[in-house]
Amino acid sequence: MSEPHDHHGHDHEAPIPAPISVEDSGSQALSEALRSSFGIVKIIMFVLVIVFIGSGIFTVPPNQKAVVLRFGKTSSATREQLLGPGLHWSWPYPIDEKVFIPISEIQTVTSSVGWYAINPDGTEPQAGQSLNPALDGYALTADGNIIHARVTLDYQITDPISYVLNFKDAKETVTNALDNALLDAAAQFNVDDAVRLERSAFKDKVVQLFSRAVEQQQLGIVVGSSKLESIPPRQVNEAFNAVTAAEQESSTTNNAAKSAASTMLSTALSESNSIVNTAISDRAKLLSSVRAESTNFLDRLPAYERNPQLFRQLLLTETWRKVLANAEDKEVMPDRADGKPRELRLQLNREPESDEYRARRQKQKAEQNPVTPPK
Amino acid sequence: MKRNTLTFTIGLLLVLIFGALLFMFQVRQTEVALVTTFGKPTRDYNTDPNKPEPGLKVKWPWPIQKVQKFDKRIQNFEDKFSETQTHDGKNVLVAVYAGWTISNPKLFRERFTGSIPRAEQSLGNLISDAKYAVVGKHPFSHFISTNPQELKFAQIESEIESRIKDAAQAQYGIRINFLGIKKLGLPENITQKVFDRMKEERGRVVAGIKAQGDSEANKIISAADRDRAEILSKADATAIEIHGKAEAEAAKAYEIFEKNPELALFLKKIDTLEQSTKERTTLILDQRTPPFDLLDGLQKTAPRKNP
Repeated sequence: MSEPHDHHGHDHEAPIPAPISVEDSGSQALSEALRSSFGIVKIIMFVLVIVFIGSGIFTVPPNQKAVVLRFGKTSSATREQLLGPGLHWSWPYPIDEKVFIPISEIQTVTSSVGWYAINPDGTEPQAGQSLNPALDGYALTADGNIIHARVTLDYQITDPISYVLNFKDAKETVTNALDNALLDAAAQFNVDDAVRLERSAFKDKVVQLFSRAVEQQQLGIVVGSSKLESIPPRQVNEAFNAVTAAEQESSTTNNAAKSAASTMLSTALSESNSIVNTAISDRAKLLSSVRAESTNFLDRLPAYERNPQLFRQLLLTETWRKVLANAEDKEVMPDRADGKPRELRLQLNREPESDEYRARRQKQKAEQNPVTPPK
Repeated sequence: MKRNTLTFTIGLLLVLIFGALLFMFQVRQTEVALVTTFGKPTRDYNTDPNKPEPGLKVKWPWPIQKVQKFDKRIQNFEDKFSETQTHDGKNVLVAVYAGWTISNPKLFRERFTGSIPRAEQSLGNLISDAKYAVVGKHPFSHFISTNPQELKFAQIESEIESRIKDAAQAQYGIRINFLGIKKLGLPENITQKVFDRMKEERGRVVAGIKAQGDSEANKIISAADRDRAEILSKADATAIEIHGKAEAEAAKAYEIFEKNPELALFLKKIDTLEQSTKERTTLILDQRTPPFDLLDGLQKTAPRKNP
């Protein structure tokens, strides 16, 4: 801009010495005046040059980088060329041009193509009978159902030159790619998997499709963390909740069955232990009684052999004494006068057993039954 | 002299700058440039995406040649969300997006006088036509499916893209860089039917979960029952084995009784007698049973005494 002006100033300076030779006080005064004004012009020129060069100083703010285009081009598209935060200098505009790039900043993009309309003030409008395609976004699942899905994704710019110089609105391109990935992924999952069972697989699919797209489109970005929300439409929420409730109920039933089963098993184990233990103690009892019997036998054998008759009578009498002492009722029936035995008729009336007595008898039976000493 | 050299240098420099301004122009990396000679397009620059050629270029000064520049960056285009029919007669709503660039500035200028909105309008018509044609060739199951063989989502996109690619290039001087489906939906009245179907389906799912839960619980209980029976029968078997062994041992111990079976039998009888009369016994004896045989003598002597 200022060059043609400078050009004029200098062009006039050269022819000035010629008219100076004229001996004329008027022209001398004029040349004096011109000389001094040229001096001023020179100073202005100098200042302009300083300002021109000084205007090339610029600051790159933190979290940003800058790339310098010389005559509109980057000499080679490498990261080394990027200028980091701080003070820099480049030639001013027509020669160099600087473009700022938000590089180390994590960029966030949200795809809400699959979400229902939200009021501008952030509140959710009442769910209607149906979804208006102009307002409410949604995604179709593989089994032809409708879900709402929203994905938020962080990405980092790895090739800032491509990101900034090759795309008019790279962020919108990224959003479009994410919308596309979301719909494509949703179309591959059944509704149960998309909203409940396979949400992380669904998310991974979105990220995978998105990464492939941005690579193909050479956006020069790398995907960071991502978050996916997927819900059934509000119109059928109740039905979905019923499924969750049924699942919980089913798992409660299952747990109850499991604990009942484990109780059964532990009871069975302790029962089994007691059966085996009873058998072991029965065995011990039997053996000790056999041992006692045989000891008793051996002890008495010599006495018996000395006089069997006496031994028998003594022992029998002794036993009788005990038996008679133990017996509750004793009846002695004397012979009839004619010396013949008396005939006795008994009318037995089964006496009701007391509980205590029955239990004791059963216990005795149980103890005796398994072990029947051989004859 | 020295002063003149300096003046001359500065003058030359200024002439050079002025000349550069007249004869040269720069093409930014983000631009394509079209040079017209007396209003007729003669050359273009930086149009090949694989061979970028930004930088300083020469031209004749105005009014002979003029430079017109266009944005070279990828533009985002978004199609209308419009209703169409699939091959199997389902009504669907589809919107696509595309990334496009100006590849032929001469044609682009001729067609749209360089106006991007006008270009997008034409591009929109082209894309819509291709979209209707391609969607009409595919059944609905190609849009949504768990079966990767059946799902043709990406293929549908690339079919639309290839259908418009050549036409956009030849007629508009536009390159389609990529194209994809941005929205996929159903007509509003259909969504309500889908909701009804979803509710029905949930009902079936609930019934299925309940039935499955019950059958699983039954399975657990019956398995436990079986295990319990097994444990108990094993225990019984062990007990019987122990008893058997015990009896065998006892039988061995009884061998000692063979020394005098008579005594052994007698002792056993005595013991049995004692044991069996331990409780709640009523004994009815006659006078011949010892020791009541003593009574016999008494009775016989008594009548003799009495009379």
